[in-house]
Amino acid sequence: MANTRTIAAAALIGLAAASPSLAQDTKHVKWLDDGTVELTMDPEYGGVIKTTREELGALFGPGQKPFEGQEVTVLSLDSGPKGGISGPLYAFRPIWEELSGAKLNIALTPISELYTKTFLDLRNGTGEYDAMIVGAFFYGDLIAGNYILPVDDWYNSGDYPKWSYDAMPASLRNIYTWGGVGYGVLSDADGQVLYYRRDLLTNPEHQAAFKGEYGYDLPVPPTTLQQLRDIAKYFNGKDFDANDPEPDSGAVLHLKVREQGLYHFTTLATSFAMTPGPELTKTTNVYWFDPEDMTPLINSPGHVKALDFLKELAQYGPPAQVSWSLGEAWDYFLRGKAVFNFSYGDVSPLAQDETRSKIKGKVGAAILPASDTYWDMNTKAFVTTQEVRKVGNVTGGSWHGVISSLGDAPEASYSFLSLMAIKPASKWLATYGWDGVDPGYKYQFLEPLGEAKLEDYTNAGWDATDVKEYLQAYYDNFNAPTLLPYLRITGTQEYFDVLDSNLSAAMSGSKTSQQALDDTAAAWEQITDRLGRDKQLAAYQQAIGWKQ
Amino acid sequence: MRWTNRVRWVFLAPAIAWVLVFTLFPLVYSLYASLHNVTNETIVERAVVPMLDATGKPVLKTDGTPRTKTEIKRETVTKWEWVGLRNFGRVFRDPQVAEAVRVTAIFVVVAVSLEMLLGLLLAFLFNRNLPMRSLLRTIMILPIFATPVAAGYLFFTIFYEEGGPLGWTGIPFLSHPGWALASIIIVDVWQWTPFCFLVFLAALQSIPEDAIEAARLDTDSSVAVWLHVVMPFLQPVIIIVLLLRLAEALKVFDVVASLTVGGPGNATQSVSYLAFRTGLRFFDVGYASALAYLLLAVMMVIVTFFFKRMRTVYA
Amino acid sequence: MPDATPGRRSKPLAQALWSLLAIAITLVFLFPLYWAVSTALRNPADTFTVAGLGIPWIDFRPTLDNFRTELSTPEGLKALRTSIVVSVSAVILALLLGMPAAYALARFRFLRWKNSDITIWFLSQRVLPPVATLLPFYIIFRSFDLLDTPLALILVNATFILPFVVVILRQSFLDLPVELEEAALVDGATHFGAFTKVALPLVAPAAAATGLIIFGFVWNEFLFASSLGITETKTMPAHMAGAVDTRGVQFWFMATRALIAMVPPVLLALFAQRYIVRGLTLGAVKG
Repeated sequence: MANTRTIAAAALIGLAAASPSLAQDTKHVKWLDDGTVELTMDPEYGGVIKTTREELGALFGPGQKPFEGQEVTVLSLDSGPKGGISGPLYAFRPIWEELSGAKLNIALTPISELYTKTFLDLRNGTGEYDAMIVGAFFYGDLIAGNYILPVDDWYNSGDYPKWSYDAMPASLRNIYTWGGVGYGVLSDADGQVLYYRRDLLTNPEHQAAFKGEYGYDLPVPPTTLQQLRDIAKYFNGKDFDANDPEPDSGAVLHLKVREQGLYHFTTLATSFAMTPGPELTKTTNVYWFDPEDMTPLINSPGHVKALDFLKELAQYGPPAQVSWSLGEAWDYFLRGKAVFNFSYGDVSPLAQDETRSKIKGKVGAAILPASDTYWDMNTKAFVTTQEVRKVGNVTGGSWHGVISSLGDAPEASYSFLSLMAIKPASKWLATYGWDGVDPGYKYQFLEPLGEAKLEDYTNAGWDATDVKEYLQAYYDNFNAPTLLPYLRITGTQEYFDVLDSNLSAAMSGSKTSQQALDDTAAAWEQITDRLGRDKQLAAYQQAIGWKQ
Repeated sequence: MRWTNRVRWVFLAPAIAWVLVFTLFPLVYSLYASLHNVTNETIVERAVVPMLDATGKPVLKTDGTPRTKTEIKRETVTKWEWVGLRNFGRVFRDPQVAEAVRVTAIFVVVAVSLEMLLGLLLAFLFNRNLPMRSLLRTIMILPIFATPVAAGYLFFTIFYEEGGPLGWTGIPFLSHPGWALASIIIVDVWQWTPFCFLVFLAALQSIPEDAIEAARLDTDSSVAVWLHVVMPFLQPVIIIVLLLRLAEALKVFDVVASLTVGGPGNATQSVSYLAFRTGLRFFDVGYASALAYLLLAVMMVIVTFFFKRMRTVYA
Repeated sequence: MPDATPGRRSKPLAQALWSLLAIAITLVFLFPLYWAVSTALRNPADTFTVAGLGIPWIDFRPTLDNFRTELSTPEGLKALRTSIVVSVSAVILALLLGMPAAYALARFRFLRWKNSDITIWFLSQRVLPPVATLLPFYIIFRSFDLLDTPLALILVNATFILPFVVVILRQSFLDLPVELEEAALVDGATHFGAFTKVALPLVAPAAAATGLIIFGFVWNEFLFASSLGITETKTMPAHMAGAVDTRGVQFWFMATRALIAMVPPVLLALFAQRYIVRGLTLGAVKG
């Protein structure tokens, strides 16, 4: 007769062996026998990320606490624990803390203060933050000041959660690296695309009426900016949403100063101001400065015409949008009150959330059409063409984490950032709108362009047509043959700051387009001189890949 | 004040010392900085070293290879480059500064005038024996203590043009440059009129009845009574209130930061807000200090102007 | 209390009209606070539906959820705690420094500079633009490793409110009959003894009222709080500033946070309003 205790012990061991998970499982991390790992977020986020031990790298493992006792402080822009960019930090925090044994502090600051807080800390050598979520346009100042650490060594070592630069299109990879060296950990992919109300543009009544007024078929989606303007003008003032009796708008923009208003202009103006050509020369494919002497190009006739166009387009929207930041403008669009919005990749995902959106299943997306008229810098004249270019952009922050060289725990910080960058995590983040992480990577795009399946998205609640157009739009955008060059030199923030104020003055009626841009150019010259013209010129030439 | 015992310095010195240390010293530093170009440079050295545990043995990873960690040596070096009055020159030539000065001037003149006028009128109104005066006066105290930055955000929701409570007026409170400035003024007037009102009311209520009755006996003209009896009581109060409101209004920052962020364009950017942005954002210490000194200079002029009058108040 | 238009008896009708006007104006000033409460109590979904009206008796479904959410976050509670610590400490520090100085200016004659000049000098500190001292303070606190600590904010705020203590309490001391202290001196007390045992207790109500006023000012301070406080030390106003969201028009949270930030000083003002009014006149109104 076997001893009862022995039987009990055997039973327990049997039970333990039978269950697929290990004793070192923690609340958010489950290590399965077959080498996979389940990372479970807290219920308010609801995500379960399925990964493998291989993908998590050599340092993370059951019972391993490689960074025990360390503390990492991350600075991010403030959208709260369930908002864009900052939300994922909260969602992944408990998971990472269990994996690493370390503690994570999340420091938040309003987006308009992110640059200030970051550089105040860095320039003074305070070093409060171990990692910062930065906009890619911070890089010029970050690199010049030696403030961030390259991540290539950790990336290649196999010790840390694995993600890949190769998943990024070249345009994005450029802004996550500097001089070929990697500094940023994969996260958000920003770019502006056009969103439109598919249901309204395909409505036969509107199509007929539009043709009557404008003399051509309503294109779905518009293929030139001028067509976009016509459509916006047609719809503006009509009441096409069933939710309230107020008139609705053609287009809605987020023009608030010191938020992200200036990006509307920079994106739009590309096709007006950049002279097309096969190569980068003094007069073709340049946008910001003259590559030979750093003279600002921001007040070129092309730019001025673009600003006039934007002013006109704003007329077909609510006047209040001059003081609207992203949230307000998106809300207006999501409530169904505008036909067009061109903005970041948050809009379609947010449109799928029916507690906020009334337009699920009606949101189309496309690469922002180009202007049919551009300024030719060689002939010094405007050219109207029927062969409209495909112009893409990576406008925006593409907010992502970098490691401060003044922090105390660089490796621990990298392990956190890279945890959020692994493929399953990145995929999950891209499918939802609230987290602010927008898709741009190969595994997020649908087959055959990428590796994702339609079910991945529809299972997460997406409308099928919405998501197909959305992903195609972003694919087209990031892989377009012509791109708005991304300005990342030292002093970028100063250049942008004065451009932003002047644009807002123009859009709110204080200045004419010409005056606003002339004032900007004059201020830019002063900044260039103060920072050192030769230094700036060299940095700019390097940034755009200028060859003598 | 009647005693001249030396111990008076023991009483007074701590406060004076405190003010000197915490005000004078930073001001001098600021002045010094405004004459220099201050730049910080960070020198970073990285070394990859093996990671050792508490006993000094190398830590191993799960696959047996030794772990490494990055050791960073860093140094921040501050360079002070004398530039004399160049920063002040920049400040005077900068169109943004000119605009901020204009914005601040308009704000100060309009807001303070409105507050004092309204406050005075309200004081006269409430000075009558009205029912519920106590309750009404209590309610009027509240705006003074409302956190200005919170009030700014609150009014952001009130002024919201598409669907806010004042949306029906069609007024572009936040999207039109002129109206945005008016909005800032409205918030300030909301917050500080009660202050003026309360102080003026207290002054009115401190006028002894006999003085009024005596004057009434002498003349039938209300105007004369006002001039000879009421005004002397009001005058010192008006001076103090005016000085305080001017001083505070010139520094306006909180409401600008929360309601309009200085926009649209730079239509509501006050000098304080501009200095804060450029100083903190680009850490252009020299330029920001020069700008702050410009503001300080204006303040000093105002104080000097009021000095003599204030002497009589505090004599 | 004398009538504003001395001697004239107001007719009942005129009186009623004046009353109505006073009530109307008071309501106008009350409106923003009322709006804050009504928005904070509103369901997020209702924000735009009843927004135009804002009248709670139609469609009133109040919810305390917003407050619950805000106050349950660790950051929100921490901000509350920080604000209390900073405000109370700054007030105590300012009173400790300012009351003796006020007494000195009320009772002693200074020969080198006139008392009135010294008083004005204190008051003129209010003229200083904070922005002028912001960067130096930032640098100084950084060198002493005091950045992001409550102590930094306490020191800075005490400096700003000290003038109020001196100017207001000087008047309160002046209002005390000096005979009492002189009697104590005759009995053998030192000046310090007269100050602490005779004058201070009598001035206590005024000191308390002053304390409440300056508590409000410290609580509401924003510029330094948001610049010197980074992660650990956030006061309510600085915490509030992060409420601006890119994810939507979260008016309900704005209003809730605004209210939570405003409530302490406003409540205090309510409790002590009688005394506060005297203090607010800053010694310009005698008797």
